[in-house]
Amino acid sequence: MEKPNSNKREVPLTALKAGESGVVIIIRQGHIRRKHRRHGHIIHRSLVHGITRDSGFEKRLVDMGLTPGTKVTVVKAAPFHGPFEVLVRGSRLALGRGMAERILVEKE
Amino acid sequence: MNKKKLLIALAGNANVGKSVIFNHLTGLHQHIGNWPGKTVERAEGTLHFKGYTIDIVDLPGIYSLSTYSLEELVSRKYIAVERPDVVINVIDASVLERNLFFTLQLMELETPMVICLNQMDIAKSKGVQVDVKKLEQLLGIPVMPTVAVKGVGIAKLLEKAIETIEKKQAKPPQVTYGEEVEEKIGKIVEKMKNVHLVYPARYVGIKLLEGDEEIEREIQRINPQIVDAAKKLAGEIECIHGHCCSTVMTSERYEAAGCIARAAQKLVSPIKPTKVERLHNFTTHRVTGYLTLVFSLLLIFYSIFTFGDYTSGLLSDLLYALEPFFASVLGTGFVGQLLWGGAMEGLIAGITIVLPYIIPFYLILYFLENSGYLSRIAFLMDNIMHKIGLHGKAFIPMMLGFGCNVPACLGCRIMETQRERLLAAFVVTLVPCAATTVIILGLVGDYLGVHWALALYIVDFVIIFALGRLAFKVVPGEPTALIMEMHDYRWPHMKTILKQTWFRVAEFIKIAFPLIIVGSLALKLADVLGWLETIASVLSPVTVTWLGLPAITGITLIFGVLRKELSLVMLAALLAPTGLASMTPVQMIVFTLVAMLYIPCIATIAALFRDFGWKKSLFITVFEIAFAILVGGIAMRLLTLFM
Ligand SMILES: Nc1nc2c(ncn2[C@@H]2O[C@H](COP(=O)(O)OP(=O)(O)OP(=O)(O)O)[C@@H](O)[C@H]2O)c(=O)[nH]1
Ligand SMILES: [Mg+2]
Repeated sequence: MEKPNSNKREVPLTALKAGESGVVIIIRQGHIRRKHRRHGHIIHRSLVHGITRDSGFEKRLVDMGLTPGTKVTVVKAAPFHGPFEVLVRGSRLALGRGMAERILVEKE
Repeated sequence: MNKKKLLIALAGNANVGKSVIFNHLTGLHQHIGNWPGKTVERAEGTLHFKGYTIDIVDLPGIYSLSTYSLEELVSRKYIAVERPDVVINVIDASVLERNLFFTLQLMELETPMVICLNQMDIAKSKGVQVDVKKLEQLLGIPVMPTVAVKGVGIAKLLEKAIETIEKKQAKPPQVTYGEEVEEKIGKIVEKMKNVHLVYPARYVGIKLLEGDEEIEREIQRINPQIVDAAKKLAGEIECIHGHCCSTVMTSERYEAAGCIARAAQKLVSPIKPTKVERLHNFTTHRVTGYLTLVFSLLLIFYSIFTFGDYTSGLLSDLLYALEPFFASVLGTGFVGQLLWGGAMEGLIAGITIVLPYIIPFYLILYFLENSGYLSRIAFLMDNIMHKIGLHGKAFIPMMLGFGCNVPACLGCRIMETQRERLLAAFVVTLVPCAATTVIILGLVGDYLGVHWALALYIVDFVIIFALGRLAFKVVPGEPTALIMEMHDYRWPHMKTILKQTWFRVAEFIKIAFPLIIVGSLALKLADVLGWLETIASVLSPVTVTWLGLPAITGITLIFGVLRKELSLVMLAALLAPTGLASMTPVQMIVFTLVAMLYIPCIATIAALFRDFGWKKSLFITVFEIAFAILVGGIAMRLLTLFM
């Protein structure tokens, strides 16, 4: 699989540890999630169903304040692959892991 | 001018206090709690003030006026189509930037506005000082600071709203975007000259650039060229900025909101942030968080049981002491027997079985809801909910389901997709509501011990999980991911909790008690006339042969469809004088198990029907009846091996 970017500081939000922050660069489209799926047919299905919905979710994230250039601080992640707790623009958000994986940030 | 009708809408982000204000103004009882997404449907109420008849509308809380969710679309259309005389935009003073982002979008709809700067007390304790005059000046809209829970500023807010209407203030000022964006908006507005929509032209221009589906569809019908042109213009912006056009515009709006917020607020060091913060960290921690969750659920369970059990005994001693008195007044003839054995037994059963459990139950539930714990639970349960094809937010309607399945089913609208709403609603109908709790605690808990009651709950959770998993297989699809704001913990406002509890209990007394009395009376009459046997025997293949229950339970379970606690209350009345104690332990458990699972009550079925249509609600109902009977029969056979 291709690397998201050659720039090492550009990482998905999930790569940040508790207490670290980053600046949002871009929210990736849904199909990047393929990497995390093992079986071919599941990839296919999520792709077909995902398109309109994913772009909706991207919009929601941006509407919640995760616009490019915004500082995000990871507070913690719930165990067993659970959601992330982040601070954005003075409020506390819970973001499912699938969502957090798609937010590319530049580590501070 | 007098006697004029006015329409005022309350709009704003989730959890800012719109419903508190609505309740204050109208005296109604909209649901209040400290988590986002309580109001899922627009509520209306009226108020008379200064000779006006004012309709107040409480809209669901939203973060944006796009078409991402149904609520956003509904709220936007409402404001555009109904054109309220003024929109009161309620904002949370402690999170000014995010709230102003929404304000700026509302301004684009060009309806007259007043800003209600709410939660001033919270802002103060967080160390946020807002300069009201400055904010007013920057936005060009009147601003009124309030503390809604204490009623501070509400009257002035209303006055200001009416003043704004009377002054016929010009449309609110607009955000200006970057030069290149403004130029493109101008081009679209130019083309829109002869097109008339409910939305203002500038708004349509903005939304077309953002690729808003609803507006695109409408314009497409009128003049497809405009849509094509807008798409091209949006493409140009994308080229310049390297982000999609809607992201660019959202960023600029946030930028503007941030500027205003920074200019109007002063951050002084917070007075007491640490306590709330520490509590949050403790209750969402990977170890202590889950421990707290289990521990508090157990604590709630035991305290409700202990309180209910004790009070129930006390009340029943008290009420049964009345029997000789009644006998002497009414005599022991046919009528006396009917009145005592039917109406009074039913009433006593209702009071002693139901009230002692329901009152503490609702108190605790509302306490939790108003403290802010529910959204933490949603955070902790997210991964588990993914196993049944949902995400953490679905756990909130489930928790509400413990109180009553009906609002919980409607609450499933906080889920993003129709599929998730259906799955969540199905799971919710299996959650034991307060009425079912009455059966579990009042029968099994009371007669067999609290541990059996706890075991039944655990069995129910296992069943919920298994059936949820099954439903996930039937309605497959990737669960969407969780996006939820977690609002700070706050000490619940006691008056709100007491009011909400009282409202619930009053509703119960008004609806359930007449039903209990009439139902018990009818049953007693049928009993005295000897009809009961006949009806019961029709159902006996299921109740007696398969489930091993007393024949009479068939009838009470049917009554339970109206309200679940009826099935137990009537059973108690019918089995008097020995009462429920005449059932064997196995019968008690099987009866409770069936009552717990067999059918969502009629109000829940109606709620399902409204949101999902008759096919799906009928399917769920029939499935759950069959499933309950199946499980009950199996449980009876297994239990008789041990007990
Ligand atoms: N301390 C304090 N709490 C407030 C104030 N206003 C509202 N609250 C609390 O904030 C919470 C949310 O209030 P609601 O009125 O339910 O919020 P809403 O805007 O209707 O929320 P949704 O219906 O979910 O969009 C409740 O727990 C209220 O008790 C206030 O001025 N001060
Ligand atoms: Mg509300």
